[in-house]
Amino acid sequence: MITKPDTATDAVVDIVEDVFAALREVRAVTERLRPRESGDLAALRMVLFERLGGLIAGIGFIAAPGLLRDAPWFLEWWQESPSGPVRLVRDLDPSSGAFYDYTHWGWYADPASGAERTVCGPYVDLLCTDEYALTLSIPVRVDGTFVGVAAADVFVRRFEVAVLPVLRGLGSPAFLVNADGRVVASTTTRHLTGTIYRGGGLPCGDLPLALVELRHGLPTMGS
Amino acid sequence: MFGDKYCYDMAAAKEVRVPEIAGSARSAAFAPVDSTARVDAVVRRLTDAILLGLVADGEQLPSEAELAARLGVSTVTLREALMALRQRGLVETRRGRGGGSFARAPREDSLGVPGRLAELTVEDLRDLGDHYAAVSGAAARLAAQRSLPSDLAPLKRTLVAMAAAATPGEARRLHGRFHIEVAAASQSARLTQEEIRLQADIGALLWLPHTTQGEDDEAIAEAVERGDGDLARALAERHALAAVGHLIELRLRYPPEVRHDH
Repeated sequence: MITKPDTATDAVVDIVEDVFAALREVRAVTERLRPRESGDLAALRMVLFERLGGLIAGIGFIAAPGLLRDAPWFLEWWQESPSGPVRLVRDLDPSSGAFYDYTHWGWYADPASGAERTVCGPYVDLLCTDEYALTLSIPVRVDGTFVGVAAADVFVRRFEVAVLPVLRGLGSPAFLVNADGRVVASTTTRHLTGTIYRGGGLPCGDLPLALVELRHGLPTMGS
Repeated sequence: MFGDKYCYDMAAAKEVRVPEIAGSARSAAFAPVDSTARVDAVVRRLTDAILLGLVADGEQLPSEAELAARLGVSTVTLREALMALRQRGLVETRRGRGGGSFARAPREDSLGVPGRLAELTVEDLRDLGDHYAAVSGAAARLAAQRSLPSDLAPLKRTLVAMAAAATPGEARRLHGRFHIEVAAASQSARLTQEEIRLQADIGALLWLPHTTQGEDDEAIAEAVERGDGDLARALAERHALAAVGHLIELRLRYPPEVRHDH
């Protein structure tokens, strides 16, 4: 039984939406907390720990610089480890010369400038894990004011495990590309993850992802 | 291994004649620079002397005329070199009574670099250069093939910050960061992790300020942006080998008193 392309894109949307559902929970709790100090965010941990695992290798809230009285730059960010959730503790002061002015990263900058759902990457995540990852994020607002983002890291290798069965079901070589044309997951060596594909594809709902299927070696969608 | 173009350009032949006794390294720092050497060579010589603590932090340099004479360069050349050193925060010039030029050593460098360098043999350094060139060359080639304009934004920000860096320590950190960002643009987590390890391990040594570093970095960024993988790789390899070549020159010129082999 061969999957139809739109069934495949629906399946991809379901996989990704599951992560966004977790982020909406994080957002709802953060909005209720109305955080003013870094300690206020400790109350987020229950929901973060619950959602960590499966596709989600790291999850948390990233405060807008200056939001918290005691910490101008702050992440309440937790990652998986064999011994349970581990807090990412980083010296986030950009003046210490590191990578940590997070306002430049797409997963922060896009929601900060109004995007409702952002899928960033795949990219080598220099802030948290040095792994090849996707970062999904949504804005958090209190009384209409942007106060930071709820975000989750999905390692590309785990995403691949989740979506490859869907792509294989299509019966011909296929791959997913992000909005920039970067291949995210693929069933063909001709277009490997991380490479650039300059052509169109079938959109996955309103996510910044598109499916490209090669029939007789040619894309079935415009190019 | 190091083509003459990329080699440390102070006449190596001169250095072998320097007797390896206490205090000789210091006089080597002020030994005459050959007549073809320009401002860069003087900058590099004095930078090394200051970073390696051969001239103490706060120590007054000889007068311009005397220093120019000892280095065998014109006072015009020397003044240009001092200006570059002032911009890097390695020299401070005070006017008036008791004025003159004073060495300003960044503490971390003056303490860390000579000790770390002394632990490595020339062979260690050569091998390190081979490893580093392989990693950064491969990363730069892939970055050129795979990066999109959005991937280049961090690199460009880092280059801008580097040009405005207030201290050699900051400039060095930004160099390290630039090379890690190039590696990240390759889309390879392993190459990036390797680049990070190399930077953490030897970054402080590798990025002892070089006069050509910023230009090298800009050329690499340009090649990556144009999608010229072969050029990006060649430039990155050359850059790594030149940096390590510089360290080997330093290691040969300022031998540690004793090396304990296991």
